[in-house]
Amino acid sequence: MLTRIRLTLKQHRFETIAISIVCLGLTVAALIEAFRLNSLNVPLSCFTTGYNFGPASTSMTFPTDTHCQALANSFSSIQGSLDMNLVRLLLLLAPLLAGIVFGAPLVAREIEQGTAPLSWSLSGSRRRWLLGKVLTGLVLLVPLMLAVGLAADVLEGALDPGVDIHAAFQNYLSRGFIDVFWVLAAFAGTFALGTLFGRTMPALILALVVCFFVRVMWDPGMARIVLRPMAVEQTQPEQFGPFYGGGPGIAIAPIGPTPSSEPTPSSEPSPSSEPSGSNDKTVAYTPYWVQTDLYSYTQVFLNGKPFYGDPYTLPGYQPQFDANGNPIQPDPSTMPNWVNYAIPGSQYWLVVALESGFLLLGSLVFGAAALVWVDRRRPY
Amino acid sequence: MGADGGASTATAALVAHGLSKRFRKKVALDSVDLSVPAGSITALVGPNGAGKTTLIRVCIAFERPNAGRVEVDGVDPWRHRSEALRRVGYVPQAPAVYRGLSVEDHLAMARSLHSGFDADYARRRLDQLGIPLDQRADTLSGGQAAQLGLAVALGTRAKVLLLDEPLANLDPLARREFIQVLLDAVRAEGSTALLSSHIVTDVEDACDRLAILGAGKVRLDCPLEEARRTHRLTDADSPPPGATAVGSFLGKGGQKVMTLWRLAVASEGADGAGGPAPEAASLEDVVLGYLAAGRGTAGLQLN
Repeated sequence: MLTRIRLTLKQHRFETIAISIVCLGLTVAALIEAFRLNSLNVPLSCFTTGYNFGPASTSMTFPTDTHCQALANSFSSIQGSLDMNLVRLLLLLAPLLAGIVFGAPLVAREIEQGTAPLSWSLSGSRRRWLLGKVLTGLVLLVPLMLAVGLAADVLEGALDPGVDIHAAFQNYLSRGFIDVFWVLAAFAGTFALGTLFGRTMPALILALVVCFFVRVMWDPGMARIVLRPMAVEQTQPEQFGPFYGGGPGIAIAPIGPTPSSEPTPSSEPSPSSEPSGSNDKTVAYTPYWVQTDLYSYTQVFLNGKPFYGDPYTLPGYQPQFDANGNPIQPDPSTMPNWVNYAIPGSQYWLVVALESGFLLLGSLVFGAAALVWVDRRRPY
Repeated sequence: MGADGGASTATAALVAHGLSKRFRKKVALDSVDLSVPAGSITALVGPNGAGKTTLIRVCIAFERPNAGRVEVDGVDPWRHRSEALRRVGYVPQAPAVYRGLSVEDHLAMARSLHSGFDADYARRRLDQLGIPLDQRADTLSGGQAAQLGLAVALGTRAKVLLLDEPLANLDPLARREFIQVLLDAVRAEGSTALLSSHIVTDVEDACDRLAILGAGKVRLDCPLEEARRTHRLTDADSPPPGATAVGSFLGKGGQKVMTLWRLAVASEGADGAGGPAPEAASLEDVVLGYLAAGRGTAGLQLN
């Protein structure tokens, strides 16, 4: 099998080299960007404005300390730089592109170049032949994407100071172990298309379209269909952090004590460890932050039951007046009640495992389809 | 071997019974009956589109027959693909080489795919031909690439070799070399070969048996020597005694319409009684006659 793997990699030399260079380069680039941010060593209290996620976003210091301000500005400058955005974009795309680029020609090129009849006449089992190729893909892609995912984790940690990135959903679909499952899904789907079409370019193009569609639909689909039962109702106002980025997300902190009442975890800079000159007006932040950008939703209830109509037309929503023009309390049973739900960060690993499981399941389905098809199709 | 294979197929390495294959409305094979004796080299001859490639592809389980069955060394390739493929060495129509891999890599690939692949045997054959093992396959000449394909097929030490027009893209010298290597190997190993071609002269010296395929049907299936002995060619309507007309076609130069006659077994050797003396038919004439009969026209000429 080692010979098969070696020869398959050699056969797909261009893809192997290109993917390796891009993934390793991206890993190094992400680590360098993280190092640049970390080396600034900006205290959380120095983030005055413009930072909108995690504990730093609630550090409402005032720019009285110029050194502090300069650090925060440097941080923001790196955070918003072109190279940082490029790295983050590539971190998002790398698993899909690597899977597609290696998966498309895996079977299709053999059929296009007329080598499939030779291989299939030598190998008694086409399924074993295909499994050898799939194994080659796994040997190449899994370690590379693991490196990329872990580097992305490190970068995310640097981008979100004070945040436990394994208890926060910020960019969680493009970092960490889930990257491995994205690449597997893209790889399996693409080589299945290549097996079906027997042509590299159509498989490549269709895989790009399908992967783009799946990636776009994945977040809302998973959030609303699969993960909704995991959401908990947010009832206390203090659980809600500030809105950020103008999006629908809210940062909530239902887990763990606040620094004002409990000791701050060692990984978090405590107010007492802030640099001299930092302002004492810093609002207390919570040690664990949960980003609920994609994993929060609002359900309207009416009289204790979910209501799916337009709540703004309900009588209880409209102001009501008596004959003298005095406002009167509407009937509570006609009043809509908005309730926010979110998935706490303590469920991070469960969510990652669940979504990875779905991606793995998809990969297996695509792989099985390819195995069935390769056994039935013609080698030309 | 099928139970109803009969005595005639008892020593056959490849048997087809009523084999039919359609591609939508096009009939590629039409109730083909063919028996290739073990140890023979059979030329499968016919024009383009006759069904030669389809027949070989059915034998190697690339195509599923619509009717009938085929057995390779007693195994139905469609039902028992891996069993059948262990018995078959295959040389595809166009030289199938992996562009980025060296000659040695091809042997390593074959060894990893085929448990019984004899890489040393294949390597020796390539060495004899002076083909460098470290050369990239995409830089080989057409003849060398064909030899690589043949070496891979021979390395399987298969009982049955199926060669799908391997000579089509080769120059005359490369064709001769290819045939010689094939002959040496088959004679040394005692294996069976089915060699398809539409160039009759190439296979004439190499094969001991001839199967003519035209429009999906087997027109003739007999030893090569018998094909020569039992056919005569005339440019007149008067048949040799006891002969039946096979087909008419334009003779060389396009001046005369020639007719191929098949002699009855009893009248073999009885040439011309009263009419013009019939010519002994060349193998090309035999093929042309049967193909013309299949087409029902007199304008056919092979190259």
